[in-house]
Amino acid sequence: MKASLLRWAAWAPGIDSSAAWEAWAKAPLPLPATGSPEAKFLPAMLRRRCTPLTRTMLSAAFACAEPAELAQLRTVFASRHGSINESIGLLENVVRREKLSPATFSHTVHNAQAGLFSIAAGNRAASSSLAAQEDTWTAAFLEALAFLERDPRAPVLVVVGDVPLAETFAPLVEEAAVPYAFAAQLAAPGAGPGVELELVPARDSAPAAAPWPPALEFLRWWLSGESQLEQRNRASVARWRKVDPG
Amino acid sequence: MSGAPCRLAALGQVSALGRTRADVYARLCAGDASRLTLDSERVPERSLWLGEVREPLPAIPAPLARFACRNNQLALAALEPIAAEVQAAVARFGPARVGVVVGTSTSGVGDAEAAIAHRERTGVLAHEFFYDQLEFGGLARFVAEAIGAKGPAYTLSTACSSGGRALASARALVALRACDAVVSGAADSLCGLTTNGFAALGALSAAVTNPCSANRDGLTLGEAGALFLVTGEPGGIQLLGVGDSSEAHHMSAPDPEGRGAETAMRDALADAGVAAAEIAYVNLHGTGTPQNDVMEAAAVARVLGTNVPCSSTKPLVGHTLGAAGAIEAAFCWLVLAERHGDALALPPHVWDGARDPALAPIHLVAKGEVARVGARALVMTNSFGFGGNNCTLVLGASDSR
Repeated sequence: MKASLLRWAAWAPGIDSSAAWEAWAKAPLPLPATGSPEAKFLPAMLRRRCTPLTRTMLSAAFACAEPAELAQLRTVFASRHGSINESIGLLENVVRREKLSPATFSHTVHNAQAGLFSIAAGNRAASSSLAAQEDTWTAAFLEALAFLERDPRAPVLVVVGDVPLAETFAPLVEEAAVPYAFAAQLAAPGAGPGVELELVPARDSAPAAAPWPPALEFLRWWLSGESQLEQRNRASVARWRKVDPG
Repeated sequence: MSGAPCRLAALGQVSALGRTRADVYARLCAGDASRLTLDSERVPERSLWLGEVREPLPAIPAPLARFACRNNQLALAALEPIAAEVQAAVARFGPARVGVVVGTSTSGVGDAEAAIAHRERTGVLAHEFFYDQLEFGGLARFVAEAIGAKGPAYTLSTACSSGGRALASARALVALRACDAVVSGAADSLCGLTTNGFAALGALSAAVTNPCSANRDGLTLGEAGALFLVTGEPGGIQLLGVGDSSEAHHMSAPDPEGRGAETAMRDALADAGVAAAEIAYVNLHGTGTPQNDVMEAAAVARVLGTNVPCSSTKPLVGHTLGAAGAIEAAFCWLVLAERHGDALALPPHVWDGARDPALAPIHLVAKGEVARVGARALVMTNSFGFGGNNCTLVLGASDSR
């Protein structure tokens, strides 16, 4: 399964330019566990409704395309946890038989980031939002390929991100709990530097948590001189290869 | 666009209309709205009608106890009737070639409520609570483990369009040859979060939802599971076209002009390569909210005209949110599967008959109405979600099946 990777952007606390990511990729260190971007490119009215996850994912998304493209690109938003941190407060309201905030409720759907992106960018194109546990990044790549299969003529913006789980659920999940987002413009093969994914089932039980999220390990590899990367997810092993365009 | 075949080869489903094909089809065509129940427990100080699944659901098998939740039980109930076909596909193609793409808006959040309630009483989460029960990705992993599939498995969650979108992606994965077969559909379960959330939004109907009526005042919630075995084979009932769009408008209200809905319907027709006049039936999103029905009727009238038979099946099962696109595709599948010659019995639009003059005059299906079709029968189903996410599917069956 092949695609072209035309452009990328990423955000983590203190690492918010391509130069900073190039430097991180050369000497990667574990990432800060707290912080979120201001996302000043968003109108103040809209920014007020954005959670830290939304600001994080939209920061990577808006850095990954020109303004005219932002209004046109089809999008895939992927997050393992999505708005679960905000849902915890609503669940406490339910359990205490308190009234829920309607605005909070409508902004905790898993596609909240996609919806707010659509509004902020004036984008009316097709959009998907997904989750796949430890396999979320490879699933996002596959979903982008699914959009490209449906129409290979235009690129797809894929955005993956998470913020650390709140303490209610954090002890239940072993992972690199850092706020981050990674965005990439993917296009049909031949349009730019190529990447190939081969997915094979994982043979044994889940691995120990990696030091940073799989999407950032992918970015580290993409910026490195290595031609191949094998990523162990929960249910699958993703074998990535760089391929020449054309 | 591949134009490659995409067969919806087998279907299992559960909703307020029942679990067996015979029960569901009979109640669907009769417009049996008697399955809804009145609840006075879930939302403080109000009662509401619900499309609850009242019959017992299968238990989660012990090895998959980490995934135990009502949402996954609904998925399991939908899997049971197609277990033989799914197992045959896993054996034929190999586990690594069978994928899972499913939709949900709730996942196991209903069971998380119980864990949070336990914490409120005792200070700690229920010790038998696992994150696999709650997280969105847990549904896809559960279905994959339950059927022994080892191909790609992921959960789509775009609110009320999740189920339709899952089928769209399943079709693309088969066309891409990423999978030879995909188990795809959706499950969504009634819970305190959605009932209280929609109550807070003022979106719930006082009586049973009354789509397209001048007296409509909101939606009725429900729950459902519907899973298809999707293959790349020709024949049978095909998923012929997909159209989707975003609204760039508002998080919880549609564009009043219905432009996003119109784009989704036009693109689904173009993707299927069929003319508007060929559509024999439209299963409306038809939530019964003032905003949805006026914009959807206008969009249907612009794309398909006002003669095509339309109905909302939400008065029968409720708005099943993340499962709506899948259960309504399931109803369309049944309508096609039960075709007799040129006769297509249609699900009636169950309402009070008080047409809203503000609505485009679309044709709403009467009880007992039958559509006449030619060599191939084509139907459309709409689903529109929070966040402004729209998805339309076109299903079809040909004589040459």
